Amino acid sequence: MIRHRLLAAFAVATASTLLVSGCGRAESPGQTGGAAAGLSDGPATGTVTIWAQGTEGEALQDFVKPFEEANPDVQVEVTAVPWDSAQNKYQTAIAGGTTPDIGMLGSDWMPGFRSALTPVPESIDTSDVFPFALESTEFDGASYAVPWYVETRVIFYRTDLLKEAGFDDFPTDWAGLKDLAKAYQDETGAEFGISLPSGGWNAFLSNLPFAWSNGAEVINEDQTEWTLDSPQMVESLSYLNSFFEEGLADKSPDTESGSASADLVSGDVPMFLSGPWDIPGLELAGGEGFEDKFGVATIPAGPDGTSTSFAAGSNLGVFKDAENPDAAWKLIQWLSQPDVQAQWFETVNDLPAQQAAWDDEALTADPRVAVFGEQLQSVKIAPTLVSWTQVSAAADTQIEQVFRGGKSVEDALAELQSTADSLGTGQ
Amino acid sequence: MGSATTATAVSERSTRTRKVTSARRRSPSGTVLAYTALTFALVATLIPFAWMFLGSVKTEAELRQRPPTWWPQTFTWDNFAAWFGRLDIGTFFMNSVVVAVFTVLGTLVFCSMVGYALAKLDFPGKRLVFTLVLVTLMVPGVVTFVPLFVVVSKLGMVSTYPALILPFLAGPLGVFLMRQFIQDIPDSLIEAARIDGAGELRIFLRVVMPLCGPALATLAILTFLGSWNNFLWPLVVAQSEDMYTLPVALSLYSVGQNSTNYGVLLAGSVLIITPVLLLFVALQRYFIQGIAATGIK
Repeated sequence: MIRHRLLAAFAVATASTLLVSGCGRAESPGQTGGAAAGLSDGPATGTVTIWAQGTEGEALQDFVKPFEEANPDVQVEVTAVPWDSAQNKYQTAIAGGTTPDIGMLGSDWMPGFRSALTPVPESIDTSDVFPFALESTEFDGASYAVPWYVETRVIFYRTDLLKEAGFDDFPTDWAGLKDLAKAYQDETGAEFGISLPSGGWNAFLSNLPFAWSNGAEVINEDQTEWTLDSPQMVESLSYLNSFFEEGLADKSPDTESGSASADLVSGDVPMFLSGPWDIPGLELAGGEGFEDKFGVATIPAGPDGTSTSFAAGSNLGVFKDAENPDAAWKLIQWLSQPDVQAQWFETVNDLPAQQAAWDDEALTADPRVAVFGEQLQSVKIAPTLVSWTQVSAAADTQIEQVFRGGKSVEDALAELQSTADSLGTGQ
Repeated sequence: MGSATTATAVSERSTRTRKVTSARRRSPSGTVLAYTALTFALVATLIPFAWMFLGSVKTEAELRQRPPTWWPQTFTWDNFAAWFGRLDIGTFFMNSVVVAVFTVLGTLVFCSMVGYALAKLDFPGKRLVFTLVLVTLMVPGVVTFVPLFVVVSKLGMVSTYPALILPFLAGPLGVFLMRQFIQDIPDSLIEAARIDGAGELRIFLRVVMPLCGPALATLAILTFLGSWNNFLWPLVVAQSEDMYTLPVALSLYSVGQNSTNYGVLLAGSVLIITPVLLLFVALQRYFIQGIAATGIK
């Protein structure tokens, strides 16, 4: 049984890789998975099953009550799924044919899951959804899911210490950001000026906002060629590396969840990059009176670009094995309405995918949320390719060697480019 | 040169032998050293548990505080209240208990029966069967995971207790453990029973089983722990929340996509670990005996 546990742990690690690539390869190019049938007229009927992860899963059952009231013959059954190994749960369900009607799918899961999903019917209006979110759902001209909520990364910083460091406003360019990091260290007694990921899983992705803000690209527009060793990419990694070299950022920070926010609260490291969940996270970690001591700012622009951040989110998709697709799409349609999306933000703090929902008072009230809204106007997503997972892992290793091991940026990116080329971009 | 090195080596070895002999005699300083080392090991083992128990009554802000505190500044039962109020811990607990108890009972019955047959009965293909058992012991779980789920779903058992229990009823490790233990029981005992007219079932139940106490206790506690801590299979097979077991619920309510609620996580861990701790304390005598007797590490 001890052995069994070890195996289970191993299974978690490898099954996802095996299955993701498996799903990708099983796809035959011409197959789009049945025509996008229109929705029936009239109210939704029958039972709709939906899986949702974490907080969303906990809150959704109560949240859909108005939908059930408007459609008296429908019953929505929500199953909350843990985030941990959620992908395995969906993948085994697909293999066993026991999927729910609707799944909540991380935007980065889409390349692996599209073959198990049905295309979105035309009657669902996605014209006002953030374009980057729609992009994550589109393959060969068809859309396979409806974006539900979005998130992006901005810089969290200490507003009270900003004044102490001699700054009035948060800097908007690279030189300013570095000056601020130095000033935090010299004037406020911070141990490090900023927390930057120096290695480990998704470290490259987490640092990409700086590269994008300098006009660099990971891949060309039609996703056929990797462009990882461009001069802009070299420039942005060199810029980040200078933070480590000059002692402004910790070369081996604690990567445990919550440690960056703990360091921001204590003032030891007054800046870090994170997403919308850290607004409530920091209020919780800081305790009473801390909510006025931190702010958020868009990513400072590099010399060759404009502020651009990384975006992700979750989409709602209907599985091919769904028993009640008609009612499922109607539920998704309801969840996509701007006013419902604004209410959902009030319930679980998820940023709406529908841009019209951002005019709602719920979102305009907090200036910090407005910064996220501003950043979302200029964001990019990770490439929607199955091979991206491997390229991303190779990139994590390379930047760790640069930031921690002193490898030259040019060498690291040249090696990364050749690794990526050999992995290819085909699905 | 060469002979000089050998001489040094020899003299070193003899010094070492002398040291070992003197340590065996247990000089007072040796005893002190041994106890100091053991105390350190004990403290190192207990610290994570102390941290968990103390942390479960801290507030979330205090848990995230730097530098961390040992003794809670403000006691709070909120983390436990979340499990007993907002979250339906009773259901998860019941599920875990039902699954663990039936898995343990089934494992004890089936593994000891198979183990007995492989150790003491003669039948054609016995070696082959035993080899097959050993082979399945070597197949990684990841290989059979998806096929197993497909079988379970084709049988229409998804999200039921049988799906959570059946796949673990006759694990190869249990069969192997019982076979090795039963093999050491003297044949003469079994032959004596047979001469007295006892049937196989009677021999198994009245002669072999009573002698297997330590092995059964070991198997029971290993199976219980495995079932109690199992996460991935219950996660995949339970498709509605009322079938979730404790580890799945713990992960669901405390570990988010981007953040972790440490208070709820620690309180939940306390609730999950305590029954296992109690069981271990109750069975530890058999457990230690069993491990020594079967040579399983």
